[in-house]
Formats: sequence, structure tokens, C-alpha cells
Amino acid sequence: MRLLIHDRSEEFSQTMKGKFDQVIYADGKYAPCQGCFHCWTKSPAACEMKDALQEICRVIGQADDLTIITENWYGGYSPAVKNLLDRSIGTSTPMSTYRGREMHHTLRYGKHHQWRVVVYGDTTDGEKKTWALTAKKNAINDGFQQSEVSFVTDLNELEANAL
Amino acid sequence: MKTVLIDCSPKKKLSASGFIAGFTSLFVMGEKKKEKLRTKADWSRVLDAVADADNVVFSMPLYVDGVPSHILPFLKEMELRRRENSPDMNVYVIANNGFIEGKQNEPLMQTMEHFCERSGIRWGGGLGIGGGVMMNVMRIMLLVYLALAVFRFVAAGILGSWQAGPWIVFGKQTAAILLLCCGIIAFDIWLACRINQRKEYGKHYTRIMLPSFVFILCADLFFIILSVIQGGIFRGWFSRKKPTRMTN
Repeated sequence: MRLLIHDRSEEFSQTMKGKFDQVIYADGKYAPCQGCFHCWTKSPAACEMKDALQEICRVIGQADDLTIITENWYGGYSPAVKNLLDRSIGTSTPMSTYRGREMHHTLRYGKHHQWRVVVYGDTTDGEKKTWALTAKKNAINDGFQQSEVSFVTDLNELEANAL
Repeated sequence: MKTVLIDCSPKKKLSASGFIAGFTSLFVMGEKKKEKLRTKADWSRVLDAVADADNVVFSMPLYVDGVPSHILPFLKEMELRRRENSPDMNVYVIANNGFIEGKQNEPLMQTMEHFCERSGIRWGGGLGIGGGVMMNVMRIMLLVYLALAVFRFVAAGILGSWQAGPWIVFGKQTAAILLLCCGIIAFDIWLACRINQRKEYGKHYTRIMLPSFVFILCADLFFIILSVIQGGIFRGWFSRKKPTRMTN
């Protein structure tokens, strides 16, 4: 399954539908993660907060290829996208293991193919290096075998870069 | 010199970030202020507190290899305000994560460094702590050990023999906990010294002093106990649950 997560607009979602199996617009209209771990222990793979992100980990868990379009915020994801990712830790289980020579949680949905990030907005060289590291770590954390980051300065190029 | 220590955890209580911020403040000199940054309602209070601060210490958990999402808009607001003023502020970061390797906090540290660059604030450096969650477990254990020592001491006294035995046991237990946390304590005191001198600390990573395979066993046990307390165990812990409704 090819999944696109972006922080652009509803209109952008409409443009991208049909080009991906599922398109999610991170509109930021939801609560941030409270760090309760209930999506691991009390109600596995479901957040206790009953909003649009309650089952987001199950959606990401189905993705073979994940593409994220996000504005650059200090070399990291925009708050809306980061909020979505913070709420998706149910893609893993509470039990731990080694992956990439580091401690990580075991994967609920097994291995995936590619974690791609398309970054737009003013991005410094230092931030670009941070992006490469973050995407690599995200991919290891969530069991994706590859990671890739690209940077877009012209918003009209977003669609072409995402495909 | 004014130092503001901000607990950036979304948790209302038992936050490891808050505990570490509080511990750090013990060694920071001058005027100190501890703040909690959970929601947007906290913004104006925290922004007022940092407006005339010489040092700001962000203590935060690592969420998905980065800064927790609820902190990012606050940083943007702080950047906008600091651009309007002429900042003479040092920002330090203490990041803690649930994995054993403190080094896993590196992307978060870099993000905070970029925040400083864009805001024209001086980056003072950061301390990344692996196994920070265990600090919470240890402080609770310390209180339990203390309560047991008091109980044994009083119980033995009532039976007619006041003995030092319970306190010797408590001393050994405390020493064991301090040993496990010695890296964190040492690096944290060093950080506080650099804050006091208003000098750059650099980036340092430390951890709970346990072999990683032992820490993994402890973490697994922690979640099993947590699950039992929350009403049951293994309720689909490993099952590949599918979405029951559409997201967007």
C-alpha cells in the first residue's frame, strides 16, 4: 500500500488521490500525544483520544511505501505532521529488541519498504543534514528498509517530487 | 543571573523531564524559575518568564526521534518574540528517551540547535539521557525503600530492640541506585556548572549504567507490570489490527 501524508491542504489531497492508495491531510486539528503508552498496553494499536488520529498507527502499519510532504521546521517535521507521527507509535509493540545496532521496539506490522520525505520551505544546509539523519532514524524505528529525503523550493514541484 | 528550567513533558505528573529539570536546578545558582509547558495555555506565562532570562533550559522527552509536537509552535512563537528583542540568552537542552542509548537524542539536539540559529539565541549545548524513564522508577523505588526502612526500624523498636540494620540495608539500596545513575548525575552537575558560568557545554550523551540487554529485560518487565495495573495483559499486544474506520 502506498500512503501519502502531507500538511498542505484539502485541495492538495484531492489532487493526489488516485496517485496513492491513501492520502492523509495532517490538518493539525487533533490533540498531541500525552505519553500515556495506552496505545501499547491498555488498548493496543488504538489511541485513547477519540479523534481523527485514534487509529493512525493501523493506517501507517499497512503502508509498504510511506511518503511525507512537510514544511521544514528547524530541520524537522511541521507540528501537524509531527503530531500525527507522535500519535502513531502503536505501529510498534511495548516489547524491545535490537535494530540497527540500537534498542528499538518490536514491530507490530513487520517490515516495510521505503520512508520518503519531501521537504518544502526555506531549509539551511545544517537542517538538510538533520533531515537525512531524522529520516534514517525514523525508518529504522518503524521498520522501513530505506529512507530518502528531497527538498523542494518551488511549491509547484511538490506533486512531481512526491510521485 | 536568571535561569528558567522548562519541563516540556505533556504528562501532568510523574514526568521524568520535570524530575531531571528539578534535579538540575539544585546545582544552578542565582534566580531560578521552574516552568511547565504542556499546552498553549502555558505559553504566555512561560514566554514572560523567559523574556528576561539569561539561561533557558528545555527538559524534554524524545518523541519519534524528535521534539514533541506540542513544543514546536511554542518554539516558533519564542523565535518571533526573540527576533523583536536583542537576545542575550543561552539555551540548553536536556533530552531523555526510553531507549538505553543517550545518543538516540541526537536529531532532537540538532533541531534545538537550528531553533537557536534561526532565533539568534546562543546555543549552550545539550545533555542526552538514555533510559530516562527509569529515573522515575528509581525515585519511586527510593521512596519505597525509605518507607520499608522506617517501618522495619519502628517495628523492631516497638518489639524492644532499636537496630541500625534497616538503615544499613537502605544505605546499600540507595548506593545501588546512585551507581546506576552516576553517569546522569555527573553529566547533569557538569551541565549546571556550565550554566552557572554561562559557557557552552557542548553535546554529551549518557545513560543508565546497565548493559543494554539487562535494560531491555527491565523495560519489558516494566510494560508487563504497567499492563497488569491497567487492567489486564496481552490484550492484542502483538496483533496486526486493521483500521476500523477511515482516517481523512
